[in-house]
Amino acid sequence: MLVSVNELHLHRGGTPVLRGVNLALDAGDIYGLLGPNGAGKSTTIAAILGLLRPHSGTVQVLGRSPQTDARTIHRALGVLPERFGFYDWMTAPEYLDLFARLYGRHLASVEIARKLETVGLSPKPRQTIGTFSRGMRQRLALARALLPDPKLLILDEPTNGLDPRGRRELHDLLRALVGQGMGILLCTHLLDDVDRLCGRIGILMEGRTVIEGAVSDLLDNQGSRVRYRIKWSGELPSATMMPQHVSVLARDHGSWLVEIESGVPAADAWREMLFAGWPVAEVMREGGGLESLYLTMTEGRPT
Amino acid sequence: MNSSILIARKEAGTLLRSPRGLAWLVAMAVALSIFCLLLVSDTELSLLDNAQVVYDMAGLITALGALLAVILGVDALAGERDRGSLPPLLLTPVAPESILLGKLGGIVIVWAVMFVFALPYLWAVGSTGQNLMDGVAVLALFGSPVVIGFGCLALGLGARLDSSRSGLLTSLVLLLLAASPLIFGPSLRQTTVGMAFDTINPFAAAINAYDAVIIDSATVLSQWGHALVILVCLALFVLFARNAFQHLLRSGGGL
Repeated sequence: MLVSVNELHLHRGGTPVLRGVNLALDAGDIYGLLGPNGAGKSTTIAAILGLLRPHSGTVQVLGRSPQTDARTIHRALGVLPERFGFYDWMTAPEYLDLFARLYGRHLASVEIARKLETVGLSPKPRQTIGTFSRGMRQRLALARALLPDPKLLILDEPTNGLDPRGRRELHDLLRALVGQGMGILLCTHLLDDVDRLCGRIGILMEGRTVIEGAVSDLLDNQGSRVRYRIKWSGELPSATMMPQHVSVLARDHGSWLVEIESGVPAADAWREMLFAGWPVAEVMREGGGLESLYLTMTEGRPT
Repeated sequence: MNSSILIARKEAGTLLRSPRGLAWLVAMAVALSIFCLLLVSDTELSLLDNAQVVYDMAGLITALGALLAVILGVDALAGERDRGSLPPLLLTPVAPESILLGKLGGIVIVWAVMFVFALPYLWAVGSTGQNLMDGVAVLALFGSPVVIGFGCLALGLGARLDSSRSGLLTSLVLLLLAASPLIFGPSLRQTTVGMAFDTINPFAAAINAYDAVIIDSATVLSQWGHALVILVCLALFVLFARNAFQHLLRSGGGL
């Protein structure tokens, strides 16, 4: 187990901020930590990093306590905080070189260039960080997080500021890293990122874990099936021709709202409908799934 | 290379390579140039005794050095915390003590740069007399711990207060208060309050030592009382910076 948090309670300035957080992340998995603003996600991360002392409960990172072995843990940990700053007068290679040395490593300029290339960053020679765009800064922060070849990567809103191509590249990179056995704790508001990447999630509300587990299990248990709106292009066959795992929720003029049983790939359902003669013109996803689960669990709270 | 030295080098880079740091150096150069020009060209000031000129210059260099140390001291922790560049540093496997040592080392380097930078100015106004070397020695021995002490105080205040802006404001007010003997002249220092304040004020201790060594030609060793005040204050300010840094770490390190 890379990260194990059990019944974590934490006070800040005498006020309880965390009131029962649970989390378990294994190697080779991506864990999505979700919750509205102020739910306690950043505080949980600070406790995992050993920057805040728990009031009660246990936190284990790489089998050690962050309170007593913070330096050992930090040696095998990469972190991308939500708000990150740089030394703007440095160039990206200088910045990575400084941090590599602080990690006790000496990287040749070729290796530094390779690290920058890994995150898709290719600044001009002598270009200072102060002139970087937000996306470039995001990539540099990720390169810094990957410097120690970490076993555990903690990412807070990592796709903020990235264009769609950048997001896709980051997703591919994270999948590749997980394939190499790294564990990733992903803290984000973007459910699409979670949907695409995470095997397990935990949703925090007011400092408590309200739900935690494998995404597929949670969706099954909550009945959070994905809903789609299908637009028709012609005459509709008899309703009995509808595949069994597709339920019709509403019928409007020219379009139906349907739900697919969890575990059934949507592409299979559309193929069956087309074979059965349904004139499918357009399919649009309408909430449901993870979004529905998230909204249910955080109902009435600001996001 | 040692982590503290790496961090100290980075801190010095903030002064020597960042546009903001270079702007401060230019401002210091302008202030010193104007003062030098006044000392040699103003009808009344040019009549001053050479010892008095060196004394005035040493006081100004100390004040400007302390101002620079305060600005960079606040920036070293509070500025980095506000900009978000502190958490990545705290999450490296470097011991917190080494990080703090590096930050303090940065203040020492900044003062060293300022000191070397000011030497030509001191030479320009004092080379015609015999007090120049005394001035340089007393500035190095008594001025350095004062400047570094104020840098540590600012570093601690920045870490302790909510923002770098409030840290800077508080530090500047304290520096102004401490430098009041220089600003208001000897008359204020002759009052009971002034004398009481002088006995605990490291800035006043340095100015008094400058006065005794440069103007009255006393020996440096005879100024041990002033040195004691300065060193006690330096120790207190370093301890304050250490405690404030630990408080910053306990409260999440700006994450």
